Amino acid sequence: MITIIKMENLNKIFNENKANQFHALKDINLHIKKNEVILLKGVSGSGKSTLLSILASFMKPTNGLVEVNGEFVAKLPDKHISEFRLNNIGFIFQSFNLFEQLTVEQNIMTSLIPKEYTQDICDKKIDDVLKLINISHKKGQTVSNLSGGEKQRVAIARALVNEPDIILCDEPTAALDYDNSLIFIDIIKQLQDLGKTIVIATHDTIFNDADMNCRVIDIKNGMI
Amino acid sequence: MSTDILLSNEVIIFLFIESLLLCILFIAIYFTSIILKNWNFNSTTSSQYKLEKQSYLVTVIIYFTLIVKLFLVPYFAYTVDILSAIVPGAMCGAGVISSNDYGESLLILKIIMLFLVSSWLIINKLDIQKKNFPYLKKKFLYFILIFTFIILEFILDILYFTDISTLSIATCCSAIYSSDGSINPLPLGLNLDSLLISFYLLYILTFISNIKQNRYLSGISNISFLYIAYYAILYFFGTYVYELPTHHCPFCMLQKDYYYIGYFIFISLFLGVFFGMVNSILSILTKDSIIKYYKYSNIFNTLFVAICTLYVIVYYIKNGVLL
Repeated sequence: MITIIKMENLNKIFNENKANQFHALKDINLHIKKNEVILLKGVSGSGKSTLLSILASFMKPTNGLVEVNGEFVAKLPDKHISEFRLNNIGFIFQSFNLFEQLTVEQNIMTSLIPKEYTQDICDKKIDDVLKLINISHKKGQTVSNLSGGEKQRVAIARALVNEPDIILCDEPTAALDYDNSLIFIDIIKQLQDLGKTIVIATHDTIFNDADMNCRVIDIKNGMI
Repeated sequence: MSTDILLSNEVIIFLFIESLLLCILFIAIYFTSIILKNWNFNSTTSSQYKLEKQSYLVTVIIYFTLIVKLFLVPYFAYTVDILSAIVPGAMCGAGVISSNDYGESLLILKIIMLFLVSSWLIINKLDIQKKNFPYLKKKFLYFILIFTFIILEFILDILYFTDISTLSIATCCSAIYSSDGSINPLPLGLNLDSLLISFYLLYILTFISNIKQNRYLSGISNISFLYIAYYAILYFFGTYVYELPTHHCPFCMLQKDYYYIGYFIFISLFLGVFFGMVNSILSILTKDSIIKYYKYSNIFNTLFVAICTLYVIVYYIKNGVLL
């Protein structure tokens, strides 16, 4: 199996050489294979979100190598980072980060705008992804009128609409109740069947009992 | 030293901007030297990541200062033209430029700088389009060369503006460029007819070499075209702009009396020649070429030739004779 994510000797230090210096990630070495599901487990402040942010190239490491889908993301100039993220990464946030005033369809469309597809292609992609996540019936509804579980599904649809190879989820069940968390886990299993590589940063114990084909990695004080 | 010159609004603005840019570029050159010394793209150390961030900042600084430098060249021409009002004897910028020993060298340096700076901007554009900074070292080394010219230019600016006298009489363009007939002012032993034939033949050569996208032929033909075009403007087309057979001046046509047509003529000539020769420069410094620039070169060269030729045609239609 191909290694799709590679991190070697990765460190992230915030406020380096200042009084409030914080070593968030320490010498991380991690290889993730294509189609793997990784459960990155750890308490708040352990470095999970920082690790995901570096993988998604939201931030750069202090030092070390990060290779995602063949790209050395920490070395990408700013101009190319957005393009890389658009084509390779789907990110699901803890608080969904949706536009509350827009409809479900419009929220998903925001991810397609930079691609400059025709309206017909956009419509087809949106319909396909809504069907996959089983939320087609909410297509025209304003996001502010949706429940937490529905919002999460819209967020997943938005992350998937550009067909990225890698899905990164930061505390995806933190704002969901038990039933909706189980639905989320089912969707993750479905995405794994579609060949996606998924990294989930969580401290939710619901994943302990889930029947998932995944690798659990514990992270503590920035070390794995 | 004349305080009238240094207290003129245009000179104050010009020297203030030049000084400001020089200060900013000093900061850029400091970081440039650090980056050049320590750069190793394959490294994943914190110092390399820091250099990558710094290189982005330094590139932005250099980019914007050099853009302003480009705009300062026509502003310099405008400034010396304005100064002709207070320099006795000078009817236009030509008189002010020749009012001391530094003027001509400064003008030539500024024209060379136009090409150097524009080339840097193109190399930078190619570099930031790629993911692995392939031309970073070359573009920073090239910037050091440009910076040396910028310092030289600044020194000449100061020497030039502080040495213009408002008391002694400067020579006006009619005396500088007119020929009494005993000396042929045209280059390479050309006469006016052969100058014009060379002008149009070189234009055709640039056009064909641009279409063929032959970077070396295009470079050589465009530089030759620039050289011949300058004399053609001065000794032939300019006389139709002024409608005076004895008026040979590259500066008067920048004035309001001639609808500032000189700016259009010289800017279109510069852009046409620059886009035609830039791929030759790129072939030396990079492995890339930008094909669409050949098309731009043809557009601007054609525009330049059309403007010049139109003046002759219009004069002939109006008067039934040529000068």
